[in-house]
Amino acid sequence: MGASVSKMMAKMFGSKEMRLLMLGLDAAGKTTILYKLKLNQGVTTIPTVGFNVETVTYKNVKFNVWDVGGQDKIRPLWRHYFSGTQGLIFVIDSNDRDRIEEARQELHRIMQDREMKDTLLLVFANKQDLPGAMSPTEVTDKLQLSKLKDRVWYVVPSCATTGEGLFEGLGWLSSNVKSPAAAPARK
Amino acid sequence: MADASSNSISESSTTATASNVVASRSSVVSSHSQTTVSGIAPAPRHVDYILVAEFSIDKGSIMEHQYPVQISGDENMLAELMLPDGTHTRDQDWTIFFLHKDPSSADTDNLEPGGQPPLIYVLNLVITKHDKEAKRGARVKAMAICTRHSFLHIYKPILLLALEEYFKYPTSETLEGLYEAVNSMDLSAMPKLSIFEKQILAASDNKDMFAEKFDEAAAMSPIVGHGRSPSALGGVMGDGSQPTFTNLAAGPGGRPIVFPSKISLPRDSHEFETKVVYKSIPVPIRVPVAILPETVGDFSLIQLITTFSAPHVQNPQPFALHPHLTTNGPYTHPIIVLMNGLLTQKRIVFLSHDRPSGEVANHVLAACALGSGGTLRGFTRFAFPYTDLSKIDELLQVPGFIAGVKNPAFAHHPSWWDILCNIDTGRIKISPELQQPGPFEGASYFSGTADTGDNAFMEEIIHCISGRFGEKALRARWRDWIMRFTQMAAAFEEQVYGASALWIGQEENHVIRGHGFVWPDEQAKNRDLTANMPRIEGWRGTRSYHAYVQDVHTFYREKPIKIIDLHHQMDRLRSLKLGNEESGKIYQALRQYVTTYEEINQLLCALPENQGGLFPLAVGLFHPTQKTRFAVVELLEHIKEHMAGKHFFNSLNQFMKLAFVRLQNEKKNTAVESSVIANGLNVGVAALNLGGQK
Repeated sequence: MGASVSKMMAKMFGSKEMRLLMLGLDAAGKTTILYKLKLNQGVTTIPTVGFNVETVTYKNVKFNVWDVGGQDKIRPLWRHYFSGTQGLIFVIDSNDRDRIEEARQELHRIMQDREMKDTLLLVFANKQDLPGAMSPTEVTDKLQLSKLKDRVWYVVPSCATTGEGLFEGLGWLSSNVKSPAAAPARK
Repeated sequence: MADASSNSISESSTTATASNVVASRSSVVSSHSQTTVSGIAPAPRHVDYILVAEFSIDKGSIMEHQYPVQISGDENMLAELMLPDGTHTRDQDWTIFFLHKDPSSADTDNLEPGGQPPLIYVLNLVITKHDKEAKRGARVKAMAICTRHSFLHIYKPILLLALEEYFKYPTSETLEGLYEAVNSMDLSAMPKLSIFEKQILAASDNKDMFAEKFDEAAAMSPIVGHGRSPSALGGVMGDGSQPTFTNLAAGPGGRPIVFPSKISLPRDSHEFETKVVYKSIPVPIRVPVAILPETVGDFSLIQLITTFSAPHVQNPQPFALHPHLTTNGPYTHPIIVLMNGLLTQKRIVFLSHDRPSGEVANHVLAACALGSGGTLRGFTRFAFPYTDLSKIDELLQVPGFIAGVKNPAFAHHPSWWDILCNIDTGRIKISPELQQPGPFEGASYFSGTADTGDNAFMEEIIHCISGRFGEKALRARWRDWIMRFTQMAAAFEEQVYGASALWIGQEENHVIRGHGFVWPDEQAKNRDLTANMPRIEGWRGTRSYHAYVQDVHTFYREKPIKIIDLHHQMDRLRSLKLGNEESGKIYQALRQYVTTYEEINQLLCALPENQGGLFPLAVGLFHPTQKTRFAVVELLEHIKEHMAGKHFFNSLNQFMKLAFVRLQNEKKNTAVESSVIANGLNVGVAALNLGGQK
């Protein structure tokens, strides 16, 4: 019953579906964000072998979120997830000043890829609960986001364990996506 | 060791090399075997390597130990295969992958038919242990056994014990202990079967089939006398003591046989029981005795077919048409699409995100068996039961493969595959980018459309599953289909090209004419060849086709009877309404030419249990000509005395058996009578003479 009603609603208002790719250095908090969004509860995560993929529905939008492991050795595999991605969520450990430059390099490399040219960029400046965390402005600065010409980007301060900022980020993505109908080829 | 660089791989240009790279990017060179004492070539070890890998928080997948020596090549690649995607979401998972030996460095003694070095099969166990002490809360480790045995599932219990041990003692000595243990497994008393015996055993459900071979092998084995028993259950007593076995049931004349203390009858002759003692724990092991080609691990054909049948039955979805694949139109059964894809060497990907990688691997291995039918070869060598994104570039170099993956990203790249089998949804998809084949060479001989009968065949298969006939029955059924397909392809080639590489023989020398597929009439033949033309032409030129051409030669050489096509004649008896003269000829020829042990084996191969066993022969007991009836009696007498034949005879129905006994007596009496008649005549003549004298 419930399912058929929601299907009808989808028919009447059109349901949005959006494919998101979540990347970032290892231990930035990607998997914790994913399961906080999915289950609305903090989970203790262990390092991701390969990837996680989950569907999260928020405000009538179905987000297909891919969370790919961040160890530097497996970063070359990220490119295989690019095609069809409408939004990139890049997660920063705001407390890790030592590796923010490494994160910047990775981010710019991704954004330069041909297949990512129309992709929205959402940056979670994560781990804001830790003392000494970089502010969103500082993160924007260090990532040199202003150098990304003609790109739509947004930085949200977040805390994956409490959920702070996460849905704000999703909301921004769904209201800025251009053609939700242009869903990628699907199985 | 180091000389096996990746250069040697890139220099050779065979397709096998490409897959070599995908599987391991390494050539496996067993240098340790070269250090053994020269002279008598040592038997190949059961296990060549033990590997341990770990998922490192900082570096990703890394290799920790390799024993006894390093496998050359990219060990990171191996480590990634050992730690499959999603390992962090489950406590335990199994994967399987294969290593390809560098053909130039392999010893030439153990080559497979086709001159290729044998595959090394890798069984891998990965365990995730949540541990508050560890950095980021978990330790993920994997241990793998690399073996030449295709029945690699036997190592599962040992691997479980050994990886637990390694968590406690993460040293090379732990690997060494395991290596010594698995290599001390004793298979010396395992019976060795001929090509025909293997086929008979594999097709039979009878648990006593060739049981006598176990005793023969045990008596020959030098080690049995030293305290190892072919029966693991008898042999697993820790102190090494052996009980004495007494079999009250067996033995001629009901005499109980007391076996020497080391030997017992196996409980199921399809398996040889032995053991591996690891850390003084005796682990019972059962090794399959008759292994058909392309049978790797303990997959289930039933599972594969069920996965992709259930959604199709509930809600069939049309396929985009492709002549090689949709041989029964848009609603061709998905399993048929898969099998056609295997026969015509498409790129096939099995994908499941939700299930453990061990299950994905089992679907891949089952698919290999589906394409092979225990008959065709060339699937497992190009199978990647588990692989991941990091090897995609190498994978795409391979023309035609069967790969198992966990990553749904594969679904988003239809250029990477021709057929995508989604295990989670149970749906099979043909890639929109798959190209149509060129015009068919046989098109001038066969035109129009005809029913392949595939859907009817699948209904029979589904019935076979729902009726719980079992895995073995299903495999036998599938084997029949593949055999018929190859025969049909031979007939097709003979008609279109004038000759076929799929059949050897000189029919002018045959005592009874005819070979290959049996059709009731030309019309039926035309219909079948028309319907099957696209996939037959798609099969020609594939790896499995070329391997089969070789196998036809090998098989022909092994055949003791070359002047009758036994399969053809048995098919005629089964499927045609032969005249009495025709069938009489067959029975007479069989009586005359099928007498020795191996000749009878060859005949039994053409009379599988699932096609009625000896029934078509026994029908000859009711032939109108007495001479023929007696020929059949003689033939059945031979079969009845045969080690395997007696089981076939026993499963004849009572009516047939009674007829046999009656005819046996009649035959005896006729022999007596004829001498009596002859004597009687003499008496009569004598009497006449006497009378004449009066």
